[in-house]
Amino acid sequence: MASSKKMIKYLVIAGIVALLVTGFINGAIGSSIFGKERFLEKPHIALPPQPVFPQSVRDHHLGYSDEHSYESVTKHQDDSHGKSDGHGDVHDSSDHKGHDDYGQDSKDGHADEGHHSTPLGLMDFAITNTMISSWFATIVIVLLFVLGARKKALIPGRFQSLIEIMFEGVLGFASSVLGNDMARKVFPVVATIFFFVLFNAWLALLPFYQFLGFVNESGTIEAHFIRPAGTDLNMPLALGLISFVLVEYWGIKSHGLGYFKKFFAFGKILRGKPSGIIDVFVGLLELISELVRIVSFTFRLFGNMTAGEILVVMVTFLVPFIATQFVFGLELLVGLIQSIIFAGLTLVFISVATSHEEH
Amino acid sequence: MTELGLNIPSLVAYLINFVVLLGILIVFAYKPLISAIDQRAEKIRESLEAADRAQEDADNSRAEIQAQINEARVEAQKILDQARSAADRFREERMAQAQEEAIAFTERAKSDIETERDSAIRELRESFGELAIDAAEAVVKKTLDADSHKDLIDQILEESTSAGGK
Repeated sequence: MASSKKMIKYLVIAGIVALLVTGFINGAIGSSIFGKERFLEKPHIALPPQPVFPQSVRDHHLGYSDEHSYESVTKHQDDSHGKSDGHGDVHDSSDHKGHDDYGQDSKDGHADEGHHSTPLGLMDFAITNTMISSWFATIVIVLLFVLGARKKALIPGRFQSLIEIMFEGVLGFASSVLGNDMARKVFPVVATIFFFVLFNAWLALLPFYQFLGFVNESGTIEAHFIRPAGTDLNMPLALGLISFVLVEYWGIKSHGLGYFKKFFAFGKILRGKPSGIIDVFVGLLELISELVRIVSFTFRLFGNMTAGEILVVMVTFLVPFIATQFVFGLELLVGLIQSIIFAGLTLVFISVATSHEEH
Repeated sequence: MTELGLNIPSLVAYLINFVVLLGILIVFAYKPLISAIDQRAEKIRESLEAADRAQEDADNSRAEIQAQINEARVEAQKILDQARSAADRFREERMAQAQEEAIAFTERAKSDIETERDSAIRELRESFGELAIDAAEAVVKKTLDADSHKDLIDQILEESTSAGGK
């Protein structure tokens, strides 16, 4: 019995190693060494989110004219590379921004761009793939938490216990920074930020994020149907703004209008004291640092999530099997850390804004 | 910034999404579950307090019982002491009474003996008188010679002594 279990273990390990080696040989590294065809195409990474709906906007931003639309959501199977003979380095590299070119003829009037997606204008409205991801995460969070909290049992079941542990974890964290009373007041917003960032990061590791997309005629995904919301600058910016508003709200609530004295410290200089100029300068610095927080919040999360996404895609491209698992482990950790940082910094800023020390 | 993906409608959409999520979670998850957690904490606190109180009560009643036992022991000791002293007193009393009775009894016996003796002496005297009279009669009746007189007296005396010795 024990020996057969051991046997199975060895077989599994051998299978994993074999997969890893196969992945290495068929991936980008192995294929260039052995001169074989790549298992996956060179990934196409677009920094701005891509519009998905309505279709006309999608086609426009993907560089297709309206009459030249493509199959809608299609599963991008692993064997799709078989259909895509002739892509890759057939044409002269007219690509820029490091994108792979798919050798499109320039008949569609977007010759300079190829079929690369162009970003949405500042005011253009479209449903982007990152937005769909954020809705997906929202639905998952709502289902999980609302179902978990449905019974409100005094003696909780396993599911309710799990949700309670998550809540109490955040509440305990908030209490350690702000104290019990204040923590309870800010808990809903901080917890929502925490779980929203966390679920967006973790759900993005599900495989359909990579294989659901809109393909071109060669079977390559031009735009993913769903893409981690953290890789869209607008999502971290929205959270940063909410965090900012929350911090300022509590600052004003605990200090009244006197809260703004911190930023506009003209008191001393109006009384004719020349040293007041220092206060004015410090106030200015405070104001700038307060506003810069939004930017740092935004780009920290955006950078981490985008880097994680690129890492997953690139490692999958280089070694298609197994190797990605390690990146997934790393991404789980990064997602958790980023959500803790986002929620934690919000708590710390609230704590600074509400503290009653003399400025 | 649009190259990075900045897009105002998206931003607004994310803000709305967040606010909606926040609202749903507050109403359906945070409030009910946090209140459930609080209720449980309250319940646990109450139960612990009740347990403490029960423990305290038990301690108190144990101390009370111990005190009662001690009190009872003291009481019993006291009763025992009292009984012992009562017994002592009773014994002394009885002893004194017995002594008195004994003395009284001896006194009475003595007086009885004396009375007996007196009456015996009196009786003896009376009977000796009679005897003397009888002897005198006998002497007188007989011819009185000196020898027979003497013999007679001796005989009577002898008889009387043997009678008195009885």
